[in-house]
Amino acid sequence: MKESRLMLVQYATAVAAVALVSIHLVMQGVIYPYATAISYNNILSIYKNGFYAIFLEALLVVVLVHGFNGVRIILNEFRQTKPWAIWVDAGTVLAIIVTVAYGTRTVILAVFGGAPA
Amino acid sequence: MAVGEEKAKNRRGIRAWLSPYHYNAERWAYFFQRVTGVAILLYVLGHLGDTSFFVGGPTGTGPSPSAWAFIGSIFENSFGHLILILVVLVLFFHGVNGVRLILAELGVILRKPSAIEYPYKPKGLGFGQKVLIYAAVAIAVAAAVWAFLVLFEGMG
Repeated sequence: MKESRLMLVQYATAVAAVALVSIHLVMQGVIYPYATAISYNNILSIYKNGFYAIFLEALLVVVLVHGFNGVRIILNEFRQTKPWAIWVDAGTVLAIIVTVAYGTRTVILAVFGGAPA
Repeated sequence: MAVGEEKAKNRRGIRAWLSPYHYNAERWAYFFQRVTGVAILLYVLGHLGDTSFFVGGPTGTGPSPSAWAFIGSIFENSFGHLILILVVLVLFFHGVNGVRLILAELGVILRKPSAIEYPYKPKGLGFGQKVLIYAAVAIAVAAAVWAFLVLFEGMG
């Protein structure tokens, strides 16, 4: 992908992250007291609500794409050689895939997983 | 001087970030945008790890109250809450300063470039740039105070 497109991705995910993280923070410390927000039963009810599960998945993808693309930009500022850029880009894609997969696993297991252990 | 030597001399890498020599507010904002970005990403990776304990951790198969209680016993204390307050501080700075960067990218808060004159202040940087940088700091501090009240005083 062209660097200009990747910067657009960075700005688009930044705007989305500002909105999604704001909602996430409001849910943690404004709508409910913090102790209630992180209680097992409250989190389970959030995951079991399809809308919030999709919201958390969107938050996961947006934040990780923005974060790792940001690190890619920083690393490409340090050094501008073709092999370096290729390794950095490959590492960025791999890091996004692995971390999004791990986070998605948490969401899926929380929504569809078996009875509490 | 050969081209290679010239390049090597000018390539300061991370040292260029860490040297505050001749920094202005915009340069500090650039520095902190990157530092806070990396810090937030590290927190997010840790948060991915701790929230996975809601389903029993890396080897879990579904919601697990015992694994969640275990991870809570590690992080839900004064030290963990201080880390969260720091996260809120850097998160709000990064977010508001990031909005400034997007506005600058769109040209909204930039002036027309003009010839450089003594005392050589960058003329392209509009008043809005500085206001937003200071606003980012003020909002971040206010958010950290809010986080302190939520986490230590039970507000929310």
